[in-house]
Amino acid sequence: MGTILTVDHLDKSFGAKQVLHGVDFFVEEGHIVALVGPNGAGKSTIMKAILGLIPVDGGGIDIKGQPVSITSHQALRNVGALIEYPGIYPFLSGRQQLQLFANQHNKQTNVDTIIKAMGMGKYIDRPAKSYSLGMKQKLGIAQALVNNPQLVILDEPMNGLDPQAVKDLRDLLRNLASHGTSFLISSHILSELEKLADDVLILNHGQIVKHATMKALEAAGGITYKIAVDNLDQAKAALTMAKSKFSVVDDAITLLDTAPGELNAALYALVNAGVAINTVAQQAHDLEGAFLAMVHDDQKEEA
Amino acid sequence: MLTLYKQEVYKQIHKIGWWIALGFMILVQITFGIVGKRNPSMFAPSDLVGNSYVGGGLVMLIAIASTASIIAMEFQYGTMKQLLYRQYYRSQVFISKILTALTQLVFLQVVAGLMTVGLSLILFPSYHWATHVDGLTRGLVYLRSLGSDLLVGLLLLSVVILLSTVFKSNAAAIATGLVGYFMAQLASTLMIAMIAWQHWTKFLPFTFLLTNTQIQAPSFSRLTLFSTPMMIGGTLLYTVVFTLIAYLSFRKRSV
Repeated sequence: MGTILTVDHLDKSFGAKQVLHGVDFFVEEGHIVALVGPNGAGKSTIMKAILGLIPVDGGGIDIKGQPVSITSHQALRNVGALIEYPGIYPFLSGRQQLQLFANQHNKQTNVDTIIKAMGMGKYIDRPAKSYSLGMKQKLGIAQALVNNPQLVILDEPMNGLDPQAVKDLRDLLRNLASHGTSFLISSHILSELEKLADDVLILNHGQIVKHATMKALEAAGGITYKIAVDNLDQAKAALTMAKSKFSVVDDAITLLDTAPGELNAALYALVNAGVAINTVAQQAHDLEGAFLAMVHDDQKEEA
Repeated sequence: MLTLYKQEVYKQIHKIGWWIALGFMILVQITFGIVGKRNPSMFAPSDLVGNSYVGGGLVMLIAIASTASIIAMEFQYGTMKQLLYRQYYRSQVFISKILTALTQLVFLQVVAGLMTVGLSLILFPSYHWATHVDGLTRGLVYLRSLGSDLLVGLLLLSVVILLSTVFKSNAAAIATGLVGYFMAQLASTLMIAMIAWQHWTKFLPFTFLLTNTQIQAPSFSRLTLFSTPMMIGGTLLYTVVFTLIAYLSFRKRSV
């Protein structure tokens, strides 16, 4: 399998603010690549640049060797996308929207196939203005997939979907990837991306700070412990004094990349500070852990 | 390009509001025809035909409202990204919209014209289209008026498209387009006095909203200080200029 998308030293500024700094990455054919990062990290900007929607200040993008820019769109012939939120004409039915954007070749078959695959048969002939958020989201994804594109770019595709729909979507995307379709997906639901993606790109302050396979990420992360305490502020102060590497998730302390002996040191610091420890749970290192570790490092550097 | 044009037409023909407006126009034409038949002293057949049984004005109102929304709706519904991320260029998307707006204008003019001929044949059978008026048959005079209205319509729609590239909501674009239309009509009548006072003002675009009047009454050139061919040329020139500015605005618009 070759590379379908290459992003090379991409720079982008909005006015005086530079939002992308030499962004480099690639997507291989048949791979699902997760693009994660905090709000404002530049995920949507990268996606818009790949789709030729915004001009860039430096660097280049190519899809299967063909360059893409705001003035060069030929390479987008085999690309589908859902960016930010689904664009829907309220006066058309879901089926009409799909027919509108479907290529002439095998039009009816492609439309019927995607309607079935997305489970939209019950409401597809109703006017789209009556759709719920989840229905609209499904329609937006269906529009991105209807022409069987080789590369699909999805920005927060799980937004508004119920758990069953999320699972169905995951199965569909995995199935398409197994047949050679490539995906670049951003989402804040890291647990879902973890189940879906082959590769991960972690973006922070407009830079790719990590590009790895999901397996490598899990293997390299070390051990994480989640510690529930009675006084979070006091615990944070004690761990900071003890120079422990931690973050706070769901009102609990998370010890990151814990080396041997570090758990003891952290617990010792908490006990010495008079913090009551309620539970200690070991966790496998995951995408969320890696992401938080990156953000944690970044915040420490800024401090 | 043909695909884009077909897609634009597909969207337009699925807007219920557009068909309601068309039905309203036809209904108004029929109503004025019947009123004219019953009150010939109030509405002479020649006056009714000259204005397509009031359809002429309605054609412009419908065309302006529809054209104003043709770009603004894409921003309002969030569909602009879908139009632009494909293999097509912004210029192609823009041209497809211009062609659709033009198609609508011509279609409306044709419907208004056919209704006019039909109503005249039914309600005023004694109105002979072959009768000569000022060296032309009534039929040719009517066709000339449709053509000249179409020409000025192009100028108006180019301004409306320019406005529609600025707005992000249908309602704002349509309201501005309609208000602009009435203000332009008002301004064009004031232009006569303005040109008489300051000759250079004849070059202002408002002057060319009088092109249809001058085509039908060439002596109007004494007031506009332009020959009729120059009025036609100026109208087309301003149409092209406004369309180009609209394209540049559309091209720069972030999505």
